[in-house]
Amino acid sequence: MKWRIAALVNGFKDATAYRVEFLFEVLGSAFVPAAIQWVLWYAMFKIGGANEIAGMGYSDMIRYTMVSLLFTQVRGGDHDFELQEMIRSGQLSNYILRPVGLVEFVYIRGMAPKLLIAGMALAVGSVAGMFFGISPGRLLGAMVMAFIGNVIHYQIGAALATTAFIWEEAFSFLMVKNMLVSLLSGELLPLSLFPKNMQWIWQSTPFYLYVYGPVQYSLGHWSHAYFFQQLAWSGVWLVIGWVLIRASWGLGMRRYLSLGG
Amino acid sequence: MNTLAKLLRVYAVQIKNNFVREAVYRVNFLAGMATDVVWIGVEFTLFTVIYANVPQLAGWTKPQVYFFLGIFFASDALFTTFFQRNFWNFSDLVNKGELDILLTKPVHPLFLALTRWINLTNLFNLALGLGIVVRFGPEAGFQGGWRWLVLAMWLLVGMSTQLLLRFAFSIWIFWTERSWAITRMYYQFFQFATKPDTLYPKMIRYLILTALPFAFISSIPARALLHGLSWGEYAGLAAVLGCFLAFNTVMWRLGLKRYQSASS
Repeated sequence: MKWRIAALVNGFKDATAYRVEFLFEVLGSAFVPAAIQWVLWYAMFKIGGANEIAGMGYSDMIRYTMVSLLFTQVRGGDHDFELQEMIRSGQLSNYILRPVGLVEFVYIRGMAPKLLIAGMALAVGSVAGMFFGISPGRLLGAMVMAFIGNVIHYQIGAALATTAFIWEEAFSFLMVKNMLVSLLSGELLPLSLFPKNMQWIWQSTPFYLYVYGPVQYSLGHWSHAYFFQQLAWSGVWLVIGWVLIRASWGLGMRRYLSLGG
Repeated sequence: MNTLAKLLRVYAVQIKNNFVREAVYRVNFLAGMATDVVWIGVEFTLFTVIYANVPQLAGWTKPQVYFFLGIFFASDALFTTFFQRNFWNFSDLVNKGELDILLTKPVHPLFLALTRWINLTNLFNLALGLGIVVRFGPEAGFQGGWRWLVLAMWLLVGMSTQLLLRFAFSIWIFWTERSWAITRMYYQFFQFATKPDTLYPKMIRYLILTALPFAFISSIPARALLHGLSWGEYAGLAAVLGCFLAFNTVMWRLGLKRYQSASS
């Protein structure tokens, strides 16, 4: 437990060492995608004159975009890239000599800024929620789901990073994963806009648990029962992720040469 | 003329070196191509989903937006192939003092700084972008013929715009310790280039046509090829790019004056 707390503290220090950059990154990565979403709604409703799309009006879309801001910053993180770089460059050797689980250590250190952001998002969301009728309980539940999503995201990334044991690097695979997540998490648009024959695409991945699910629950579009059902699904995904990591790292370490994968 | 011939000879050597390096890392080459295909797939899916709900988007039909995307990918591929990697290494040139070596060479240091790394994998993306333009051009209303030459010119405009913008964001490394915050900001703003400019509300549209001219990468080229531009728009484009060129030139000179070798 002691090293876990130390790793978390280390992560906090790292995130807050360059405060201006940290703030810039959070604001930039939050507001530009939101502005892009707003532009799409503006073009569809205000310029195009649509009244309702997939059961959602202009104000519903704006509400979705605003609330999604709280969760888009919690999802993801670059620590899976850190893992693949360690494998590629041979830095992994420094870590495997220590009495810590490497995959867990990198995650805990990398999640520190996300915890900070989640706290900020909860505070902002609770205040804003008073004006927009969002219950603090739902917001808290949604944040829990978003954070579980963050773990699943890392698990998938950590498993993909092991391709660096076989090939020169795993950078491209991780980029592909991030691109798919940006669309299938509901960060770019509500997943309910997908035509019926395309719904299976996002339903068959865990990515909707990162943004779309938390937003739906916050806005009251999911019942408590349905939310808990989805939470149970996220538990299943966590187990799958754990198995994936055990298998891929077990196989990968057999191939590892300390000068790189 | 002699200078140009010398630069071309140096550039030919750079291309050869980069080709040899990429041939060694074949899996990276394939993985890079896979990334590009997925990126294109994501952008297409986004608009496919939107057009499943509306017939038009701010006057753009589905084939027209696909045509726009084709130009965007082709133009971006040109920049990524010939310049992008150099900008990733730009901060090291200044922070680690690697610029010293370039300053001692008998060729303009900026030429060497911006042409050293070439990412030939991305020529595949150029082919994909052009394939999309060819596939959706007729449906979008692109009349082809001699306009293909104009299309080539617009792709170069898009690439030059990215080069000028990226440079304007990177040059601050002479004054700052770390560049990644500004670089990330550039890529956030870059997202404005991925949608046609007429979709944006007036304020953002004005911004991406002037101070941050991301619309010149593909939006203005697509509109010019489909509907033509007014003289005012041509003049605006030339003035904005001219201003960026002047700004970058001045900042480069000021930056060099400030440069203190490895301790910068």
